[in-house]
Amino acid sequence: MRRIAFILGIIHLLAGSPPGRAASSADTANLRVQLVFPQAQLSPVAKNEAGLYFKLQPGWHVYWQNAGDSGEPPQIQWTLPKGVTAGPLEFPAPQRLPLGPLMDFGYENEVLFPFSVQVAKTAKPGPAVVHAKMKWLVCKDVCIPGKADLDENVQIVAGAPATGVNQADQALVNRFIAQLPVPLPAGDTAVFQPAATGFRLAVDTGERETQAEFFPDDQDVLDNPAPQKVTPTAKGLILDLKKDANLMATPARLNGVLELAGGRNYQVAATPGAVTVVATHRTTAGAIARIAGLAFVGGLLLNLMPCVFPVLFLKGLALVQSGAEARHKLRAHGFVYTIGILVSFWALVGALLGLRAAGATLGWGFQFQSPVFLFLLDGLFFFLGLALAGQFEIGLTLTGAGQSLASRQGYAGSFFTGVLAVVVATPCTAPFMGAAIGYALAQSAGIAFAVFTALALGLAAPYVALTLQPSWTRVLPKPGAWMEVLKQAASLFMFGTVVWLTWVVAQAYGAALVAAVLSSFLLLAIAGWFLGRWPGKGWAKAVAAAFLLVVAAVGFAAPNYLVILLPGNLSPEDGRLLEQTARRSTAWQPWSADAVQRGLASSRPVFVDFTASWCLTCQVNERVALDKPDVMSAFGEHNVVLLKADWTRQDSAITQALAALGRSGVPVYALYTPGSNAPELLPQVLTPGIVMDALAKLPTAGTEGTR
Amino acid sequence: MKTLVRLFGGAALAAMLLPAPGFAQARVGAPAPDFSATDSHGRTETLSHFRGKYVVLEWHNRGCPYTRKHYISGNMQALQREWTAKGVVWFTVISSARGEQGYVTPSEENAYLVKMHADPTAVLMDPEGKVGRLYDAKTTPQMIVIDPSGKMIYDGAIDNRPTPDVEDIKGADNYVSDALTEAMEGKAVATPYTRPYGCSVKYAE
Repeated sequence: MRRIAFILGIIHLLAGSPPGRAASSADTANLRVQLVFPQAQLSPVAKNEAGLYFKLQPGWHVYWQNAGDSGEPPQIQWTLPKGVTAGPLEFPAPQRLPLGPLMDFGYENEVLFPFSVQVAKTAKPGPAVVHAKMKWLVCKDVCIPGKADLDENVQIVAGAPATGVNQADQALVNRFIAQLPVPLPAGDTAVFQPAATGFRLAVDTGERETQAEFFPDDQDVLDNPAPQKVTPTAKGLILDLKKDANLMATPARLNGVLELAGGRNYQVAATPGAVTVVATHRTTAGAIARIAGLAFVGGLLLNLMPCVFPVLFLKGLALVQSGAEARHKLRAHGFVYTIGILVSFWALVGALLGLRAAGATLGWGFQFQSPVFLFLLDGLFFFLGLALAGQFEIGLTLTGAGQSLASRQGYAGSFFTGVLAVVVATPCTAPFMGAAIGYALAQSAGIAFAVFTALALGLAAPYVALTLQPSWTRVLPKPGAWMEVLKQAASLFMFGTVVWLTWVVAQAYGAALVAAVLSSFLLLAIAGWFLGRWPGKGWAKAVAAAFLLVVAAVGFAAPNYLVILLPGNLSPEDGRLLEQTARRSTAWQPWSADAVQRGLASSRPVFVDFTASWCLTCQVNERVALDKPDVMSAFGEHNVVLLKADWTRQDSAITQALAALGRSGVPVYALYTPGSNAPELLPQVLTPGIVMDALAKLPTAGTEGTR
Repeated sequence: MKTLVRLFGGAALAAMLLPAPGFAQARVGAPAPDFSATDSHGRTETLSHFRGKYVVLEWHNRGCPYTRKHYISGNMQALQREWTAKGVVWFTVISSARGEQGYVTPSEENAYLVKMHADPTAVLMDPEGKVGRLYDAKTTPQMIVIDPSGKMIYDGAIDNRPTPDVEDIKGADNYVSDALTEAMEGKAVATPYTRPYGCSVKYAE
């Protein structure tokens, strides 16, 4: 009751008293507010720094620009002499003020809000009055609004100030100017990544940070009272922030003030990006060895995946051809092949890390999101297919004439087979690879390269093992006419791959680009015909090279024109539309982070299929497991919300969602259970049994709340 | 093989430091959590019994200058009368803990209602802050609107003038009236969420 009486006695201090008779300070029962001008002479040539000072009774506080869960920042309205302008109040770094279950941001004991005053050359010199109409809210466990009219008598001078500053006032203003947040130093970075219930903010300051608090500029982005977990990293920190439950869309920037140990306050504008999931101080040698081991096994298994198999087929053919070669030469070929794989993996990882450092949100297999890359790869496979089918001799054109097939297979050939194996292997994720790649790309560059080196060695291992064990190759038959047959059979694999790549182009970029791809096949066929009809002739090679150049030029140019010029019926949406009307249309909805939350909010489990047209593993999984009638009906029984995150083309929201799951590529299968925000991740090679088992483990069907 | 795959999948999962799960109870667009509370006449009011009607929740603290702005001006009472006449159920919720500002006994509250000519459907006495915490109520006056299907369609401030000054009511955009009008016309609520302004709700520490 005492408090209520107190509130009823709110004094609207000095409100209504005429300007000119007010003082430069005002007192209430719980605070004193004062205008502080260390230099009473205002000059057009000097920097006129001033401040609004609050001295608060113990326990009372005033607010920061974002007051948090309750409260309002002080407001000021100026009446200034002609030619004089005042900048806005600047807010020093605040502190967290817990109030039961709520959290406010503000200041206790004392605070000064600095502002600057500009004087135009045209301002009339002489005595003048700076008048401020003030409003504030001051709270302890109760809140009391206050108002005051403050006047400061100043002297406007034309030149530099003639009188000295009040040292005590200047020290006071300087003390709070020092607490204003400053921009992050150049070179320091701040990125944030949306997670299921919040944001993961990573700030690199160049040193390990153990203490931090983040104050959001915007009022409805974060859940203010939630503790902010600090995870120190080698070069900064990661802060786990909980988002406001009502936040609908991920903000484009996460803006706010970051307070670090030692009174360092930074204004941060974090951009979306992938945030290291595992803190670096946890990276032990053992963990790296374990992940590298996983990567090696993943590389081994990659040899069996459908994307790599055609290339391996070529390689096997070469091995048979070189069966007669000396042992050391075989080993050398194995070595060069391994180098080819290593170099291209390193180049790929280097490009990926470089582009990421430049701000792009990319993941594993990103090159397949480029129409130019798809176009050229498709053409390359078609051309290789023609060569294997016998239209022309690839050996003749690439390495010149030779006695036998075996000797024609030069070291350059071995090297580029390795390159090709890597290029086509990336859209295939073998078991174990997903976790290893996701981990590696979230680590420092050194660890990423180590893991990818293990992966490369795994991919190269089977062939190298064969070259090291010549006794195995002795089993193989001697080169002969049968090899021509085998080669032609290999061309079938190549054309199969061509069909797949063309389908990817159709899915993602529409019919216009497919037409361009098919036309380029015609040009390649003409080039092949010249090479085959007049083998070894220089002019024929020149004609073929000209055709190849035209195809390359079209490959680089066509996606720009055909995808953009026809935004209507033949745009990328074309592919999407086709896909939507296809077989899976009714059950699967497009993924968004919001859709996941909506599903969970209505007490339904959510299954997300992270997929891409160019990801063969994904396509296979969808056909052999997800789309099986019994699996679909099990999804139905458990009332599962089915979401499909299509990563065929660049999509940074999906890239971030993958990173939040610790992955960097597709496929990923995530099953969310209501009440828990950590989804269960299913293996990357699915069987109906795996999916059904996961569904059987769900708590009893969440059917309530759907209607 | 299958078990091996699972084993590694599990290890990968464990290796990830996912943020600790935590679930907000109330959210715009989601079903409003159900509650039962005793009103100032000693009756038990249960939210789910009012399925089929619009329900407004108004957090109240008579000592808070921001609440006083809307009661001294008569603005809140006018809103209560306007919307209850149109069939809306209006619950005033007092979540102030015993000994804190705004805490009142039921008889004090009933006397206050008569004196202020206030006309809510009922005043819910929530000194333990159960309803307040369930809805994550932060300030007085914070307003929540629930539609006949039980979905939260508005959460936030009463209007767009976050001041304690009575003169700011005129010309303010009242978000509660906007939400109810739009929803009753079958439209989507244009502003479903704002930052609530006012004094902090005086929960027990």
